[in-house]
Amino acid sequence: MAAQLNLTHVRCCVCESSDAEPVGNGQDFEYNTVPDTFLAMRCNSCGLVYLNPRPSAADFQTIYPPNYHAFDFSEKDFGLVYKIRSRLEAKRLLTWCKGLPDDARILDIGCGDGFHMRLLSEYGKKSWTVEGVDIDKRAVEMAEKAGLKVHLGSIEDGKLPKDSYDLAYMIQTIEHLGNPANVLSAVREVLKPNAKFVIVTDNTDSIDFQVFKSGYWGGYHFPRHWNLFNRSSLKKLAEKTGFEVADLSTIVSPVNWVYSVHNALVDWNAPRFLVDRFTLKSTVSLSAFTSLDIILQKFNRGGLLRAILRKL
Amino acid sequence: MIDSINGNFMKVKKIGKPIAVIGAGLAGLTAANFLRHNDTDFVLYEAGKRISGLAASFKDAEGFSYDFGAHFITNRLAGAIGVSSECRTIEYYGETVWLKGKIYKYPVGLMKVPRMAFSGAVSKFKSFGNGSGPRSAADWFRKKYGTVLADTVALPLIEAWSGAKADDLSPSLGESLPGSIGKTLYLKAASRVLGRAVACGYNREMPEKASVWHVYPERGVSVLCEKLAEGLEDRIKLETPVEEILVENEKVVAIKAKGETKEVSAVISTAPANILAKLVRGTNSLEHLKKFRYRPMLFVNMRFSGRGLLPDTVVWFPGDEFPFFRLTEATISMPWLAPEGKTIITIDIGCEKGDEFWTMDEESVTEICLEHMAKIIPGARAKFLGANVLRTPIAYPVFLNEYENERKNFERSTGIDNLLSIGRNGEFAHIFMEDVYWRTRRKVGNLMQRA
Repeated sequence: MAAQLNLTHVRCCVCESSDAEPVGNGQDFEYNTVPDTFLAMRCNSCGLVYLNPRPSAADFQTIYPPNYHAFDFSEKDFGLVYKIRSRLEAKRLLTWCKGLPDDARILDIGCGDGFHMRLLSEYGKKSWTVEGVDIDKRAVEMAEKAGLKVHLGSIEDGKLPKDSYDLAYMIQTIEHLGNPANVLSAVREVLKPNAKFVIVTDNTDSIDFQVFKSGYWGGYHFPRHWNLFNRSSLKKLAEKTGFEVADLSTIVSPVNWVYSVHNALVDWNAPRFLVDRFTLKSTVSLSAFTSLDIILQKFNRGGLLRAILRKL
Repeated sequence: MIDSINGNFMKVKKIGKPIAVIGAGLAGLTAANFLRHNDTDFVLYEAGKRISGLAASFKDAEGFSYDFGAHFITNRLAGAIGVSSECRTIEYYGETVWLKGKIYKYPVGLMKVPRMAFSGAVSKFKSFGNGSGPRSAADWFRKKYGTVLADTVALPLIEAWSGAKADDLSPSLGESLPGSIGKTLYLKAASRVLGRAVACGYNREMPEKASVWHVYPERGVSVLCEKLAEGLEDRIKLETPVEEILVENEKVVAIKAKGETKEVSAVISTAPANILAKLVRGTNSLEHLKKFRYRPMLFVNMRFSGRGLLPDTVVWFPGDEFPFFRLTEATISMPWLAPEGKTIITIDIGCEKGDEFWTMDEESVTEICLEHMAKIIPGARAKFLGANVLRTPIAYPVFLNEYENERKNFERSTGIDNLLSIGRNGEFAHIFMEDVYWRTRRKVGNLMQRA
């Protein structure tokens, strides 16, 4: 029998309201860790989409299985996709680093196996110090194996030095957090005055969300994505936690398109070979949906949301 | 339940007076749960010995399950409450209409009957440019489905179900039935493709879609209420009927339970609307609710050997050939509700308090049912294992034209700002379990905002 989750009911983490309506429901289509049906609720007051009820921290072992992709995105397993993504992500990272001093300290929050940290060490200035923080022991072990400096724990623990970092970024992490507001406040504490903080997360203003929101949307990632934003809810959260929004725009990502189709096929009991055409390893579908998302991004409806914030 | 991760529900606010919730069924517990999650103090009063109300269930020694009232739970409702892992997916659910010994699948089968389809099309054609609204339920059904389908199927059924003439019933009754034909066909097709009973016509508060289907808790429907009640135990008072709701200057100020008066900031009642009117003191503004009528029903649960004795999960019987208007063989959809090789069929008989059926002893009711069942199920008597009869004085609200305006006003508000009436009986509305859940949350949310 599958593990029983410790489900808890929550309110909107941005405006604390519980006035919300179900926008979608579905299962763990990707890893099938539990048989539960989960609900994505949309806050009527700020538009945040959040999982409710949701598992507790005690369920992490269950809902993040050992083969979870964030723990092992390697060149060996992902080949060409790894190469292309590395190039693309390195370019993005370096844009955020423009104007950083030679002795800059950079913090990667929710660094996972250290994919982005490795890119910075490789393509960035050698004089920069890159550090990461992640709550998952397995991820930290992997990052350390690669010689990266990673703190095990949450930034909310308050163990990192205050007013010390020139740049912090959080890539596809905020959606996994239980209390994003607390994390943002903690990030603010460790940043130097006026320092930059970049957040990248799934976009609920995207077309893929519109098409698949009733259940199959890849960004739901049931039950691991707890809070999902659009421009207005992310802006509200940033302002609530003492940041100024310098830029809020969308970036291209085929991932939620690919996984939305994947999830639909899984639910329709499609044959395995067809389902496997829609994963992070399938170059063809990733390329096709990248092309589509490039067009959508021109209309500011890309798959991911990117916020560049400044500590006030 | 305290969420340590985001520190939400830290402590219940005990500043001021609590809200009194009356009735620990699905609606009352949903309200209480919502209040707890919003840090608002309340006391839940339940007259009975245990929680669950209409959403109760029990299993007998032989392994037959009996649920009072609703069977319609969706994966969305189970997910919202947090019991989806305890539910099984229902693969098939279907309804059939029995007309003079022939059976027609609902709705597709009926649409294939030429005279019904023709009269339906004519009524659609006539309705173009005809702006006059229907005057009664009879009028509504004839305009919507054509006279043949209305007169042979829909109207006899609603008359048996409500105990009133379709001409005396309000057109809102028709409007309260969910779903268009197109949507129904789409959902039925999705059901087939996906191999699960996509919910169709059993919820109207939230959108119906292919990703919402029927599920059923393995341990019976009361699992929902048990989950909602988790962590609220200290605020639930069993065997404590509320005797009076005290109103001053059109505001609820207190309640009286077990002879004791307690000050409250608001009351959320699940009592039937006409009973609520009798509980309230200090105002006349709820007086009109006393006119509201509920249809009493007899539910006869008959146990048989064999399975699939009926042509479908639910079979409707329009006309007066039979004393009942509906038979349900739940095991066609939920095989685990009876021991293997056995089944349970529920018979719905509409009646009035004090009439022939209402006063009849169990044995005679069973005998009459069995006699009629033999016309539908060959050899029914030989397969019969036993039966029990359940009488309920308030099965369904009756939408009489006579109090339609009062009903519409009541739909908007009780007329007293800090008095809510929720749940199927409390709202006096044809709503299903999922509707009760979402509507209750919305209404309680609004109440808290007003406060």
